Amino acid sequence: MSTLLELRDVRAAYGVITVLKGVNLSVAAGQVVALLGPNGAGKTTTLRVAAGVHPVESGRLLLGGRDVAGANPRDLARAGVCLIPEGRGVFPNLSVRDNLLMMTFTGKSRAEIEEVAFARFPALAKRAGQVAGTLSGGEQQMLALARGLATDPAVLMLDELSMGLAPLVVTRLYEQVAEIARQGVAVLVVEQFAAAVLGIADHAAVLVRGRIERQGRPDDGLRTELSALYLGSPT
Amino acid sequence: MTSPEPRADRFVRELAELKIPDPAAGRAGLWLRLGVTLMAAGLILAGSAYFISHSTTDALVQRDALAAGLGGVAATVVGSAVFLRYSLTGFLRFWMARQSYDLAVLADRLLEKDLHHDLTSTDATPR
Repeated sequence: MSTLLELRDVRAAYGVITVLKGVNLSVAAGQVVALLGPNGAGKTTTLRVAAGVHPVESGRLLLGGRDVAGANPRDLARAGVCLIPEGRGVFPNLSVRDNLLMMTFTGKSRAEIEEVAFARFPALAKRAGQVAGTLSGGEQQMLALARGLATDPAVLMLDELSMGLAPLVVTRLYEQVAEIARQGVAVLVVEQFAAAVLGIADHAAVLVRGRIERQGRPDDGLRTELSALYLGSPT
Repeated sequence: MTSPEPRADRFVRELAELKIPDPAAGRAGLWLRLGVTLMAAGLILAGSAYFISHSTTDALVQRDALAAGLGGVAATVVGSAVFLRYSLTGFLRFWMARQSYDLAVLADRLLEKDLHHDLTSTDATPR
């Protein structure tokens, strides 16, 4: 499996505040990597850096083996980097169908986009004419994923997919994410609530205060360590 | 029939072809602004020095004003040079791109003309 996304000793800052302090992370094609950590650890910033939206202060951002620090995020998106931000980013005043229609800028026809979206998420087909703002949280997340898939991503990044959703819905969504990865897409998932994503992740990394504290296969050791990091170590 | 290129391979290829702007290009804008600032500041300094030297009979103040005025002129000259250097680079880059586009259009037009000429001359040959 080829590594599609790699961060090497990446540092990033907001003004004088350094948020990432030397992050090392890689995601290969077909792999799901979970980036976990408490609030304010720098998870979202890591995604923003990886998508080229936030500048790298030092270190290397490699996409497909090439250092792309300083590249235009639009070019990266066109090449196949897709970031689904926290809060889903759907157009609440437009119908499901119109939300999908917005993705025809990728050069695909409306029919093609709808075919792929409705095949993967049949619930959306039933609500095609419904205004997106009135969908349930899970359906809005499905729509966000469907819109992301319309870009034919090679690297898919998801920020807090489970935010505000029922556990059953989260499990189903992550099943879809695993299916997307099986088709060769490199998936990087940022999560605060680890349980659901660890079920499908091939690799997990724990980010604390801008540093990867631990990474490896999502085994029991990692879960225990996560609990300690979130709740504090027993003294 | 050839199999379609895997998505990951296409991604790697497209990124390899991607043109990433040189971070130094951003610095050109900074130099340009610095040039304009120096030019303006130099002019203001020279103008102020002129009025200071004329508003006093004290030879020491006049000498200071003279020195400040010369400094202002020097700053204007340096600022103009920096401004010209970086604005001309931008202009010449655009001009070169324009030239190469015009040449490409001209070449296409000439090739079309040649092709048309060949076709008509073939038709005109006796059989």
